[in-house]
Amino acid sequence: MLNDTFDKITWLLLAVVIAALAALLAMNHGAGDGKAAGLGKAVEREMAYRARIELIGKLYGPVEELRKAGKNQEALLKLDELIRKYPGEAHGHILQGEILREMGALDEAVASFEAGVKLNGDYVDAKSPLSRRGTIQGLVDEGLKSVGGRAAANPGNRSLAASLRRVNYLKSRLAGGCE
Amino acid sequence: MIRSTLTRLFLFSLPLLLLAGCKAEGKRPVVKIGYMICNNEAETMARFVPLTRYLSDKCGVDFVVVPVDTHDFEKRFKAGEFTFTHSNSLIYVILHENEGVELLASEKRGKFGSRSAGALIARKGSGIEKLADIRGKRLAFGPMLAPTGYLAEYDLMLSAGINPEHDLGTYSIPPGSYKHEKLIYGVLYGKYDVAAAPVLDLETMTREGKIAADDFVILAQSKPIPYCTFGVAKGTDPALVKKVKEALLALKPDDTAEVDGERLKVLKEAWIDGYEELLDSDYDPIREMAKRVNMPPYQKY
Repeated sequence: MLNDTFDKITWLLLAVVIAALAALLAMNHGAGDGKAAGLGKAVEREMAYRARIELIGKLYGPVEELRKAGKNQEALLKLDELIRKYPGEAHGHILQGEILREMGALDEAVASFEAGVKLNGDYVDAKSPLSRRGTIQGLVDEGLKSVGGRAAANPGNRSLAASLRRVNYLKSRLAGGCE
Repeated sequence: MIRSTLTRLFLFSLPLLLLAGCKAEGKRPVVKIGYMICNNEAETMARFVPLTRYLSDKCGVDFVVVPVDTHDFEKRFKAGEFTFTHSNSLIYVILHENEGVELLASEKRGKFGSRSAGALIARKGSGIEKLADIRGKRLAFGPMLAPTGYLAEYDLMLSAGINPEHDLGTYSIPPGSYKHEKLIYGVLYGKYDVAAAPVLDLETMTREGKIAADDFVILAQSKPIPYCTFGVAKGTDPALVKKVKEALLALKPDDTAEVDGERLKVLKEAWIDGYEELLDSDYDPIREMAKRVNMPPYQKY
């Protein structure tokens, strides 16, 4: 096998090539590859987030237009269709909560915000373009005063206690509590 | 001797033991619940027999369904034909004021939970865009004792300075049952210009695909007011009242009852989302409306 010089040179060259290949593979498998994958995931997340915002604008645009025109009930009917079509999308619940609050249905508004925030925490995140922290804070303040007052005056009332639990849930999410 | 006495004693007591093991069917107290008929008796029975059976199972009482026409409700209650009442919120207010009926639980259904609203609607593109445009037009009301199909809309018009008795072209109430659906379709297909539509019916018909959210213009809408209500005659056994209330408030979508050998989902059959514990003061907006509109129980001649 290693009888003559030619064999020795051939085996040596082969060993050099194998070593070089192994070194190349090791380098590509290192930190550089992780960065690329990490970057890919971040880009994917960003793209998905932007796509969601774009989709929300498109889907709920007609609802927002109805609200601007003061047609809250028509907006609710439209939202009903959208919530059934996209049950996992939180935005419909948030919009519905805003409308119900404007229409004087505080308990139902709280329930709707709770459903929305449970589906997506972006709405309590101050940095999110979808953030509704201010609105939710206002709702919590009003809820604690109104629902809290009624619940305190009627300690055995289970419906008021359940409503107050929902207000407190929103309060905890604003304080940074997790689902 | 002792053995034969024991045998006789055993044989004598055996039928008694067997009887004691039987369920005391028919021996439970019988209590009647009056259910206001919404559209027709058959529909009322189909909706509320499972709920009534559920209550019987939970409370250890044989509850019986009594379907009652809206206009006969107070008269029949006064005659002692039923102890528990299931009616719309205006009938509850009338019974509370006149007969001392106490609030038990309020029904949840639709976007506003245990409340609903009344709306004045016109067909989109009809040229009627705001409430002032309804002067001189043909309007359809729902049944006269409907809180969100008559009372709320009448009040909305009066509040806007429109007297339905003088300022409309005509107003009418569709004949027969399914009045709410009829008047909504009536506006859609041009029989009426404007209608007094309960928001819950608009919601339900949209959900069922009978109408589209874009078909109508909502000219005015009332604040949400309580909807269907369970009440109970004053002086009813407090332990039974407590049991019924707890059973209603505990109802979940998966709860079932057996009717004619078939196990049915109680809430689904009754078209209800659940029950809530409202306060009697939550019915005050209905009282205020009834006073303004001069309707029972505050009607003055």
